[in-house]
Formats: sequence, C-alpha cells, structure tokens
Amino acid sequence: MALDVKTFVLDNGAYTEKCGYSTQAEPRIIPNCITKAKSERRRPFIGDQIDDCKDISGLFYILPFQKGYLVNWEVEKQVWDYTFGQDVFNIDFGETCLIVTEPYFNFTSIQENMTEILFEEYQFHSLLRINAGTLSAHRYHKENPNELCCLVVESGYSFTHIVPYIKGKKLKNAIRRINVGGKALTNHLKDIISYRQLHVMDETYVMNQVKEDVCYVSTQFDHDMSVARKKGKDNTIIRDYVLPDYTVIKRGYVRPLEETTGKPKDNEQIIRMNNERFMVPELLFHPSDIGVQEMGIPEAIVHSIQATPEEVQPHLYKNILLTGGNACFPFFKTRVYSDVRAFAPELYDVSVTLPENPVTFAWHGGSLLSENEEAPKMIVSKKMYEENGMNLCLEKFDV
Amino acid sequence: MGDKRESSRVKEVNQQRVLDKAARKRRQRKALDALEQDNFHDDPHANLVMHKKAPKFEETLESKKRNRRLKSEPFKQRFRKNFTVLLEEEQLNSSDPPNYLSACVPPSKFPEHHFCSVCGFPSNYTCIPCGARYCCVKCLGTHRDTRCLKWTA
Ligand SMILES: Nc1ncnc2c1ncn2[C@@H]1O[C@H](COP(=O)(O)OP(=O)(O)O)[C@@H](O)[C@H]1O
Ligand SMILES: [Mg+2]
Ligand SMILES: [Zn+2]
Ligand SMILES: [Zn+2]
Repeated sequence: MALDVKTFVLDNGAYTEKCGYSTQAEPRIIPNCITKAKSERRRPFIGDQIDDCKDISGLFYILPFQKGYLVNWEVEKQVWDYTFGQDVFNIDFGETCLIVTEPYFNFTSIQENMTEILFEEYQFHSLLRINAGTLSAHRYHKENPNELCCLVVESGYSFTHIVPYIKGKKLKNAIRRINVGGKALTNHLKDIISYRQLHVMDETYVMNQVKEDVCYVSTQFDHDMSVARKKGKDNTIIRDYVLPDYTVIKRGYVRPLEETTGKPKDNEQIIRMNNERFMVPELLFHPSDIGVQEMGIPEAIVHSIQATPEEVQPHLYKNILLTGGNACFPFFKTRVYSDVRAFAPELYDVSVTLPENPVTFAWHGGSLLSENEEAPKMIVSKKMYEENGMNLCLEKFDV
Repeated sequence: MGDKRESSRVKEVNQQRVLDKAARKRRQRKALDALEQDNFHDDPHANLVMHKKAPKFEETLESKKRNRRLKSEPFKQRFRKNFTVLLEEEQLNSSDPPNYLSACVPPSKFPEHHFCSVCGFPSNYTCIPCGARYCCVKCLGTHRDTRCLKWTA
C-alpha cells in the first residue's frame, strides 16, 4: 500500500454516502440524511437506520445538503458520527487517512468547515478532499491505460456535471453544470401524479422508488408518445404501480404487463404510469420542459468539449463516461450516444461508457487512488495541518 | 339560486383576468423552487421535545474550542448558513471565473417542447389568462377548474 495507514473512502453525496475502507470489495451505501417517521415518534432515524422502520409513509427528510452543497453541519455531523462510530465502521481516527469527495467549485467557507471538522473534531490522521469525478477519471484511466482523456458525466441527486479530464486533471474552464438531478425528477413526478391521480406530495420515499422502478429514457420520443396515447392492449407503455400499505404490501411494485388493468384489486392503491415513465427522465435531456432554461445533457457535453483545446476534442468524444444514479435509467446510455452523435462534428468518433454500477464507480476510483504511488503527495496529514494551517489545505486540494 | 349566479359571475370575471408578466414569473419561480423542496408537509415530530439533555453539536465543538484560537465569527452562524448566503460570500471573496456561477450551462439552442399541463401529451395551445399549456377542450376545462389562477398569490 502506498499510504502507511488505513484509508477510508467517503464519496459524500447529497443523496447517499458511498463509504468504506479502501480494501473493501464494495462500499456501503448510507442515506445522507436524518428522517422522521409518523409511525415512530420516539426518535429520528440517522442514515440507514430507517431500514428498521416498518411503516415509512409520510417520511420527513432533514438533509445536510442544499443545491448540492453541504450547508447544515449539525445534520451532517450526526450522520458522520453514526457512520464513523461503533454502529457502523468504528474508525480509529488517529490511524486512518480519509479520502472524501466534494462538489465542483465547492465554496471556500465549506472547504474550511470540512477541513476543520475532520481534523479537529474527528482527528483523522490525514486527509484528501477531492471531486468524485476526479476519482471516476482515475479509475477510468486505470482501466483504459491507452486513453489520455475522458469526459466525466456525473448525474446525481442535486445536479449534473460535465467535466473534461486530461491525464486525470480537470479542465476547470470547461466544467458545465445542469441544475437538474434525481431530486428534481422525483419532485416533478410527485407533482404530476398528485395533480393527475393521487396526492403523493408527502411520499418522497415511495415515489422515488416508483421513479427508479418504472421510468426510462426514451430513445424514440414521438413513437413512445403515440403508443402512450393508445387505449387497451395497444398501449404497451402504460403500467400499474401497486403502492405499499406497509402491512400486506411491504414494498411497491410494478404489475406485469399482462395484468395491467388500471384497476386496483382488493384494498390496493395503484398509480398508473403512462407518459410519465419517459417524460420524467426526459427532463435531463430537456430541462426547459419544466421551465429550467438550460441545455440538456448531450447538448451540454458538446458545449463543454467545445471549450477545450481542439487537439483533445476527438479524445473526449471517444471517452465519455457516465456516472451517478441517473445513469441507471434504462436506455440512458443509448440516448446520450445518439444525441451526442447527432450534435457532434461528423469527423469525430463518439463512444460512451456506462459502468456496471454508475453509483459506486467514483468510490472504487478512490479505493484505487489510495494504492497509487502519488497518493502520499496528495494528502495532508494532521501534523502538516497543525503546522501550516488551513491555507495549506486550500492550496493543495483543488476542488 | 342567487348564490349560484353569483359564483358563476365571479368565475367569469376570474377567467377574463389575465396574469401579467411579473405574476407569471412569480408562478414559474415558485414551481422551480418546489423542485428543490425537501418536504411538502410538516415535521411529524414538530411538537415533541427530544433528548433535551443531549448535547448539541455546537455545544460539544464549542467547548472543545474554548481554549483554542477564537474565530471571529460566532460558531452557530458559521455552521448554519444557507446556500444563498454562502454563495454570496463566495462571490465576494473570489469572483473570477471559472466558478460556481460561470459553470452553469446556458439555455438550449433547440426550440422548447410544449406539453399539456394536465395530461402531459404534446400541446398546441396556451391558456390566455395564465399561460399554462393545454392540448384539448377537456384538459382546458380541467385546468380552469383546478390550477388556473388558483395559486397566484
Ligand atoms: N436505478 C435507478 N434509476 C433511476 N434513478 C436512480 C437509480 N438509482 C439511483 N437513482 C437516483 O440517483 C440519485 C442519486 O445518485 P447519486 O449519484 O448516488 O447521487 P449523490 O452522489 O448526489 O448522492 C437519486 O436521485 C436516485 O433516485
Ligand atoms: Mg455523487
Ligand atoms: Zn391534455
Ligand atoms: Zn390557465
């Protein structure tokens, strides 16, 4: 190992923490929030403690992040106490190096708070603050040693970033952000279902599952629209989603196509998902559909690449890497490819990679990085921090 | 009878009202803010008193720091600023691009698509009073009875 102490990698997302020792095969995924349930009035749940709660209707969320930036430290601290503490990892802080992720252009004051809390409150042995996308690029280059560039598309909970990397270094002036992520998609789905069918504004947890279970990215929009207009058996898009009641039905589920009747059985409650199935993820491709006057992902990819030196552009088009939870939507990759292909100059080859798990890809990059010989030069030890102060961290960690 | 006539008259007046630009903007802003919202209902534990004795994060950190160098800013403020405040501060301290603001993508160069606000299918018409989109007489009726001019405050 390149570092002389254990390394703990924390991809600290606004939705979930992807976390674990660098030697683990897979990270643990813990919701980065505190939740309160109507059914359990004695205590709030921290992180994945909510898995113990049987009736999660009307869950109330308290999130440390706002618009993708860490603003509420009181909440974050409780989630970290739980994660680092004896309930989960029981970290020996004095003997552990922490690799932790931060959003692009993280505000200086947030970086300072983060550094101070990690060194002074938890007393980690050493620290590396880095963008999740940089970890993804690191892994991509390890797996594709012949490629010098890659374009990381990171579409998570709060927003989507498009970031070109040359030899593992990000090109800051070409970073592009679209203010649409999984949170906006789920909230939009709640809004349209509440208006059209059933009041579900309080049911974020369930509606997020509905989104993940039945939504997909359309690759033939007009065709899908016309199918969704059809009645009866000809409509092969419409689905019945049976909502959980937390007594008999513990988790919501999609009825198989043959059983799609649009009618609830017994005491069931159902939601009909028709054009909603593809209209919701479509927001990633057309934010203007909900009045966000911004480019969609493929257009932003081209816009970002155009801001890079001409000689690297062909390499970026050939190495588009999709990461983050929204990349899990079925046909996401197909659509990104075909749109970028259509918008990009014809002479460039376009190639898009979708990792097996777009959510944990960056975490694995962090675990690989800890073994890299460069790692010791990238970290700041507590000792260095104490001797040189905050400025050393601000200079060294270019997030 | 009298009541009925009265209400339909009120309804007619309402439908002749046309929202001005500023009101439409406000409405749009509200809809966008809703996409960011964490909860749409009240804290179910709001009126419970929890672990009153448990030390708060600020208290533990503060007592640890008491003997160290004093930060100019009070602790509570530092660790509890909302996004807007933090962004303002960031812009004051280091405003040269590339930064958070400059990284945002510009508007799309492609034409907008329009979908019916009621059923979600492509729409060719705009509601005159409020600017919402609709696709057919049936959806327009639903829209008028529900959202049109209803939440304009
Ligand atoms: N299988 C899936 N299909 C669609 N969306 C998904 C899927 N899995 C996760 N997501 C969405 O991705 C978002 C979280 O992505 P992630 O990259 O983990 O975010 P962050 O790093 O910001 O915490 C959530 O909004 C979640 O609903
Ligand atoms: Mg992330
Ligand atoms: Zn309609
Ligand atoms: Zn209207």
